[in-house]
Amino acid sequence: MKIITTDTSISLEESGQNFTLLEKPTLPDYSNVTKRPYFSFYYSEGETIWRRLLSSMAKFRDFCQDDPYLGCYALILRRLYPLLLSDNRAKNLTAYGADTDCMAYRVIQDFMTFLHTGSALTALARSPFSLMALSPGSCSALLYRLDTCPAPAAVCDAINRIKPGGLLLLYTIKETVPVELAPLFSKAVKDSFGPCTLYTLTADEAVLDFARENGSEAFILARASEITRRAEDLHSLIQAMLVGAALSEDAYFIAVTILQQTEELLLSLYDYLENDELPVHANVLKEAVLNYEAEIRRPSSLTVYREKLIQKSEIFFAAVEQEFLA
Amino acid sequence: MRKYKMCMIPAYSLENVQLLKDRVILPYACYRLFGECFSIVTHITGDYPYLSYLEGADLIPLPKDRPHMDAAVSYVSGHSQDIDLLFLFGARGEYMELARTYKSLRPDGVIYLKLDTNIDWANAYPLHDKNFSAFLEDCDIISCETRRLQSFLYKKWLRPVEYIPNGVYYPLYPEADEIQFSDKENMILTVGRLGTAQKNSMMLLYAYALAFPALKEPWELVLAGSVTPEFQAEYDRFCKEFPPLATHIHLTGHISDKQTLYQYYKKAKIFALPSRAEGSPNVFSEAAIFGCTVITTGVDAALDMTDNGRVGRISPNTADVKGFSGELLSLCQDADYLACNFHEIRTYMRAYFDYERLADRLRNLVGLQEMKRRRS
Repeated sequence: MKIITTDTSISLEESGQNFTLLEKPTLPDYSNVTKRPYFSFYYSEGETIWRRLLSSMAKFRDFCQDDPYLGCYALILRRLYPLLLSDNRAKNLTAYGADTDCMAYRVIQDFMTFLHTGSALTALARSPFSLMALSPGSCSALLYRLDTCPAPAAVCDAINRIKPGGLLLLYTIKETVPVELAPLFSKAVKDSFGPCTLYTLTADEAVLDFARENGSEAFILARASEITRRAEDLHSLIQAMLVGAALSEDAYFIAVTILQQTEELLLSLYDYLENDELPVHANVLKEAVLNYEAEIRRPSSLTVYREKLIQKSEIFFAAVEQEFLA
Repeated sequence: MRKYKMCMIPAYSLENVQLLKDRVILPYACYRLFGECFSIVTHITGDYPYLSYLEGADLIPLPKDRPHMDAAVSYVSGHSQDIDLLFLFGARGEYMELARTYKSLRPDGVIYLKLDTNIDWANAYPLHDKNFSAFLEDCDIISCETRRLQSFLYKKWLRPVEYIPNGVYYPLYPEADEIQFSDKENMILTVGRLGTAQKNSMMLLYAYALAFPALKEPWELVLAGSVTPEFQAEYDRFCKEFPPLATHIHLTGHISDKQTLYQYYKKAKIFALPSRAEGSPNVFSEAAIFGCTVITTGVDAALDMTDNGRVGRISPNTADVKGFSGELLSLCQDADYLACNFHEIRTYMRAYFDYERLADRLRNLVGLQEMKRRRS
C-alpha cells in the first residue's frame, strides 16, 4: 500500500485501486492559513496546516512502509483532522494496541503539536488493564487497535475514557470483528481500503450507555456480586453439613455445583483478583466437600475429612470476605 | 447409579510394568467403582503378565501396520459408541487428533486427562499452538499430581485443574495391611534408576556419609534399582574412600519381582528421595503405605507427600548435602517419631492417596461435567 501526496490531495493506492483521503480546500486564501490564526501570523512565513499534513503523510510513508497498519494510520489521521482543527484548545489523545514506540504515534503527535503545543498523544501499554488506569472521560479521541485486544469489555473500557462527543477510532487489518460489538459498529462510520479498516465512533449518549453496561467495571461488579451471593448460600449449606442437619439428598451435589460455578466466576475475574489463589481455594473446598460426602457414605468413616472441610471452608470464606467485602 | 464404558489409550505403546502404574491403575479403580467395562487400547510390546492383576480389564491390541496413534485414532473412530469416558495420560501433542476425533463423534462423552507432569514440563507446554489449546479445551477434566502444580496451572491456564495425586490401589498390596512397626529395621531405603541425573543418588550417599559418624546405632543404606555405569564407578570410588561405610551400603540391582521390593519397604524405617525433579513419584506412595517415614528434597510433591512436613521431612535444596544429611540424622535419632509416624503416614495415605477414594471423587467430577453440559 502506498500513500500518494500531491499539492492538492492525499490518497492511498494499492493494486491499481485508489482511495482519496483528503483534498486541499479551495478557499482563496487557505494557503496563507497557518497553525495559529493570530493576526500576526498572517504576516509571517509559517508552514501551512495543509503543508504540514502532507509532510505528516509523507512521514507515514517513509517510517511505516513495512507496517501492515500503514493504511489504518492514514485513515486515522484523515478522521482526526477535523477534530484537531475543530477549536483552538489543546487535545489529549490516547492510543492503545500498538507498541508504545510506534512511529505512527510520533507522526501524529508531531502534527498535533504543530497545531497546538499543548496537545498530547499518550501511548498505552498493550495490556488492556492500562485502559483502566485512565480517568473516565479524559481524552478527546482514542486510537484502538482492535487486533491487539478484541475483547468487547476492553473496547467499552476505551469508550468510557473518551469525553462525550469525542471519537473512538477502532482499526483492524482482520476481515472479521467480534460479533458482540455489532451494536457499536452499526453506529460507526466505516472507512475501508485494502486490508485496512477504520471504524470511527462518536461517543454520544447511546454509545456511552452501551459502554457503561458492557465495560469491565460493570462486568466485575456483577460477577463480584454473584460470587458473594454464592458464597453466602454455600456458607449456610456447609454449616448445615457440619452440624449434621437434615439435608436433602442432593445437598452435596448442590454445594459442589455452586463451588464449580464460583470457581469459574473467579477465573473469569482472575486478572482483577488481589488474591490469585482464590480459584484454587474454591477448587480445594470443592474437593473437601466431595471427599466428606464420599466418606460419610462409607461404613467406617475417617474424621480427617470433616476437619479438612472445616479448615478449607474457613480459608475459602475468609479469602472471599477479604477480596470482596473487606 | 450410571455405569460408564471406559477406555484408556496411552500416547505411546504400553509396556507390562505400566499396567500397575498410575496411567492404568487409576482408570482401573474407576472401572471397579463405576465402570461397565474397561479397555486398554495399545500396540502390543510383549507379554503382559500384570494384566492378571486387573480382573475385568480388556487389552485391545492395535494393528501393527500403522503407527500407534494413527491406529488409536482409527480405533476411536470406529468404537466411539463403546467409550463414555476416555482416559488420556500426559498433555502430549500426540493426543490432539485423538481427542478431537472422539469429541466430534461423542460430544456427550467425557475426556479425563491426567497430566503426569512437573513444573518444568508444564511451563513448556505450547499454549500458543491453537491445536494444543483446542486439545486442552476438549478435555473435560484435567488433573495434576501436586498442589504446587495445581496452583501454577490455574495461573497459567485459567481453567480448573483438579488435584489427584499418584496414589495406591490397596487391593494390590495386601501385605501392607499386615505390617507392624516392630518388623522394621534401621534401614534407609531409596528406589529408582540410580545414577540418572534426575534421581540425584550420589547426594544420598554423601549425606549418609556425613551423618554416619553421629549415628548412635548402625543404620543400613539400601539403594534399590538399576544402576548406571557412571553411578557404579562413583559408588566403587566412594566405598574405597570410606571403607567403614561400605559394609553398610547395599546396591540391590534391578528388582523385577514386586514381592522382593515389598520386603525392603517392610524393613525400612526411612525412605529417602534425593531427586532433583519429580512430579509425584509412585515409589513414595508404595513406601508410605508400608509405614516408611519419608525424607525428600523439595520436589513438586514434597509438601503433599509429607502433609506439609508433618509426616515426613523436607530438605528443600537439591544440592544441599549438609542440609539433607542433617534431616536424615535427626530422623535416625528420633525413634519415637518414627514409631508414631509409622501409623500417621499410613492413615494419611489411606485418606488422601487411596485410588479407590480418588476414583470416588472422579466419579462425582464426571457427574458434574455431565450436569454442566446438560445445563448449557
